[in-house]
Amino acid sequence: MLRNTSKKKIVRKIRQIAIYVLVLAVTAYFIFPIFWLIATSFKTRAQAFSTPPLFVWEPTLRNYIDIFLKRQTEIEAITGRELELATGAETFFFNSFLVTSTSILVATLIGTLAAYSFSRYRPTGTNTLMFFILSTRMLPAIVVAIPIYFFYRYIGLYNTYIGLILLYVMFNLPFAVWMMKSFFDEIPKDIEQAAFVDGAKPFKVFYKIALPQVYLGLGATIGFLIINVWNEFLFALLLTERATRTVPVMIAGTRGEVGINWGLIAAIETLYILPALVLIFILQKYLLRGMTFGTVRGVRQ
Amino acid sequence: MTHVKIKNLKKSYNGFEVLKGLSLEIPSGSIVALLGPTGAGKTTLLKCIAGVEQPDEGEIYFDDINVTYLPPWSRDVALFFQSYALYPHMSVYDNITFTLKQRRFDVGEMDKIVKSITTKLKISHLLDRKDPSTLSGGEMQRVALARTLVRRPRLFLLDEPISNLDAKLREEARVEFKRLHREFKQTIIYATPDFVEAFAVAEKIAVINNGEIIQYDDPLTLMRRPHNKFVATLIGSPPINIIRGHLVQVGNTVVFKSSGLEIELPQEKKLEMVSGDIELAFRPQSVRINSYQLGNTLRGKVLAAEFMGHQTILTLLVGNFKLKAVVKGISRHAINEEVSFSIDPEGIILIDPKDGRVIQV
Repeated sequence: MLRNTSKKKIVRKIRQIAIYVLVLAVTAYFIFPIFWLIATSFKTRAQAFSTPPLFVWEPTLRNYIDIFLKRQTEIEAITGRELELATGAETFFFNSFLVTSTSILVATLIGTLAAYSFSRYRPTGTNTLMFFILSTRMLPAIVVAIPIYFFYRYIGLYNTYIGLILLYVMFNLPFAVWMMKSFFDEIPKDIEQAAFVDGAKPFKVFYKIALPQVYLGLGATIGFLIINVWNEFLFALLLTERATRTVPVMIAGTRGEVGINWGLIAAIETLYILPALVLIFILQKYLLRGMTFGTVRGVRQ
Repeated sequence: MTHVKIKNLKKSYNGFEVLKGLSLEIPSGSIVALLGPTGAGKTTLLKCIAGVEQPDEGEIYFDDINVTYLPPWSRDVALFFQSYALYPHMSVYDNITFTLKQRRFDVGEMDKIVKSITTKLKISHLLDRKDPSTLSGGEMQRVALARTLVRRPRLFLLDEPISNLDAKLREEARVEFKRLHREFKQTIIYATPDFVEAFAVAEKIAVINNGEIIQYDDPLTLMRRPHNKFVATLIGSPPINIIRGHLVQVGNTVVFKSSGLEIELPQEKKLEMVSGDIELAFRPQSVRINSYQLGNTLRGKVLAAEFMGHQTILTLLVGNFKLKAVVKGISRHAINEEVSFSIDPEGIILIDPKDGRVIQV
């Protein structure tokens, strides 16, 4: 009997250790590319290409300096293309910030209002409309890429901020509507009804009563939209030229014909994922909440 | 003071009819209780009156003005929600004053009103609480009550406002409703599943079930002359005794017969003979222990005696039936003792078991 329980304990312990090992392995698998990216950004061209790969080396800040400082001659000596990139990095970062923040702001604003009215006022055909909204995300982006390209050229939205922002708003609205609707659906109607009886009118009830109750959901939605827009490549490549180009396109363009400066690319990428990483880290409790909503609801009457 | 008239109100949710053409008239300045079990349609009716739910059919009038399509913020009613519906992101103080702020009360006046109402409800120490979800059930209910009573609307709608309070507070709240009513003469509609509460508070009671008004009368009439079995069983504690049997004509009198017992029905009831099964009902309060009435003396065995302070509830085994009887004060009957008793003829009700209708009272 006694031996039996101690045996059980050992089995449980082993199982626990096995689970931890597995979790660690999976985590390492996902984290490794980011680690390698950051490591490479501190390596010289030669170090980046060394076989076997270097795990211990003397780090250099050269790549980071190269991104922003206009060291034209030096870079020009390597390849003409990199000169162009190295001198314009701040523009591309600015473009990415502008396009991401504006499109997310607009998508969240319209999406939240739409979600609220779908959830609360249920206009005729709500289910059909919701499905219709979702269906815009059913086909792969590449399918509509060419028509959109010609369309944008034709109406003069090609290579404009407004064009790219509008496109991102359109692509992210369905996500924002669906996500926010699920959050609004979760909050009891009684609370808003109480506010109506208390004398508040619809818009006030929306922003004073309903919205504060879904702020976690709002955070989660914004978090996911950031991930979507910040990393978007295909349309940014297709619809922009130098003036409106975003960082993902710039990174792709950094691959010259003669040689690829992986250290420089890694440095740009590290800088690029940094804001997203920080934001997602701040929003992580919202994101988690967003994914587990409905299962871990707070105690409420 | 508002006269409320509800005409043929219908409301369905997803094809399920919650209100089935309900009509009701509430005189100006009266307290009316909506009495009915869970799911009877009380909450839906109150929400329709408040304007937060739109009826599918029918009209609602306040003082002969059709308000059916008037938005809730223009109706000037106060609704206490059964779910409390406190604003979860606001402090207790903000919860209570939200409605005053919508009406642009000044801060000094607001503080005075809040102080007075929260003192009465014993929640003034909770005013600074940031998160109402940390309050206990009883505290939440009192905060919600304070939020409802903080204004002087034309109509109060209270949906089970004191179900979660302890006995003492409940009594105080009932007194407060009545005082409020006397003082301001506001019309109050009070929904509750508890007949004791309805009797204590209301002047008239509308019994509601399955989205229909079953009977609308004053408490005494409801108790003495229920229209059907539903009302008879809903009201009264301990619940009414019901025995199934049939009627036989013996000479000039009509006798109710069931296995093991015979009850002679009073002649003044002028009963038409009813063939087939019938149910005889009487309240435990109509049982007279050790009282002999011609033709109506029954014998039973005491199965249990529960002393309730001012009365004792006896459970009697009569034939195959377990009947309840109420005796004033403490009962001296021992368990298993045989007792004789009779039933007050005034209290006998006959029910048609087919449709639950009361045949003759």
